[in-house]
Amino acid sequence: MTDAPATPAKRYATASDYVNLMKPRIMMLVVFTAAAGLIAAASVTQTPINPLMGAIALLAVALGSGAAGAINMWFDSDIDAIMTRTSTRPIPSGAVPREEALAMGLIMSGVSVMLMWLASNWLAAALLAFSIFYYGVIYTMWLKRSTPQNIVIGGGAGAFPPVIGWAAVTGNTPLDAWILFAIIFFWTPPHFWALSLLAHGEYEKAGVPMLPVTHGARATRLQMLLYTIVLVPLALTPVLTGLGGWIYAVTAGVLGAVFMTYAVRVFLSKAGDADCTAAEKKLARSMFLFSILYLFIVFAALIIEHATGLYFAVKGF
Amino acid sequence: MTDEKEPYAGEFMDAPRMAPEAIAARKKRNVWLGLALFGFVVLVAITTIIRLSNTDLSEGAGFYYSNSGDRTPVDAAPALPPGMTEEQAAPPAGLEPSEVPE
Repeated sequence: MTDAPATPAKRYATASDYVNLMKPRIMMLVVFTAAAGLIAAASVTQTPINPLMGAIALLAVALGSGAAGAINMWFDSDIDAIMTRTSTRPIPSGAVPREEALAMGLIMSGVSVMLMWLASNWLAAALLAFSIFYYGVIYTMWLKRSTPQNIVIGGGAGAFPPVIGWAAVTGNTPLDAWILFAIIFFWTPPHFWALSLLAHGEYEKAGVPMLPVTHGARATRLQMLLYTIVLVPLALTPVLTGLGGWIYAVTAGVLGAVFMTYAVRVFLSKAGDADCTAAEKKLARSMFLFSILYLFIVFAALIIEHATGLYFAVKGF
Repeated sequence: MTDEKEPYAGEFMDAPRMAPEAIAARKKRNVWLGLALFGFVVLVAITTIIRLSNTDLSEGAGFYYSNSGDRTPVDAAPALPPGMTEEQAAPPAGLEPSEVPE
């Protein structure tokens, strides 16, 4: 007598499954960077914003991010089921039907854009709508499966939140807002490729043309280094425009140096190669985790300077 | 005892029954959905109230809203060109407004 294969227990969707559809960890970073844009805009332009309206605008950004995440999970459920890292997500695990995820994404997109418009202005609402479209359609449906530059171009979607936050306060998007956009844009490739160096086998299995799959680990490590070389000085440009003061300058400078060290060490390692050691894998993982911390702290420095009055301009700029 | 077949045998099926766990999960989802809808209504109400409170509803003012609470009167005099003083911009002394023909 042989044992019958165990049938997985039927899962019933709970509220947490629907929360997971919204990619809450990404949502937190999105809301945080949007808050930085909003607070910096109010401080730099001396435009007071009703705190409740500001909070609702940030909630709209959170909902928009969640909507884009749900649309992404709806479209990617086939490849999510193949990759171990994503196979426990609500759709491949069988908890949430695909159509429900799509419906949720579309409804939340509409709700978030409408709330943003009510709480701020048409420009912020239009930017939010475009960023949802960028992530849900341009990145997810087009770029992700067609080019190894998917996360470079697609990174634009994640870079919009500070611009949206700025526009919610002032109704326009000056250079400072686009500098914050550029910081996130150039941060995305080294951040994401550090992870894909570890998981390129999974992406290959799912047929996703990530850079380590199409061009190999060495080319990816070089690209990570090049993007970091652009990112580190770029993150200091807010000091030149007066957006960042001393606290920001020191924070971005020190963390940038650490980020650069990680990028050089990963470039010199064999992380992602077939014969890489456990220590080299650990190095790539450390760089991935540090990159999250880097973005969080750099934007936190901006928030601290502009929200608490601890802004001290760097003289000479 | 009869050998007649049961009428409609095999033609109808019982409605599918949901497992108690499925019913409980659906109830929970519905509660969260209800709360989310209620929250949305509250948010729209709050934004509407704040917008109306920052809106100049006086006659002739149009429907002006500012997120910053800055209420610039709609009929305020336009800003003077650079270099022009208030005196230069003032109408000549003794100038009467023209009469409007009936």
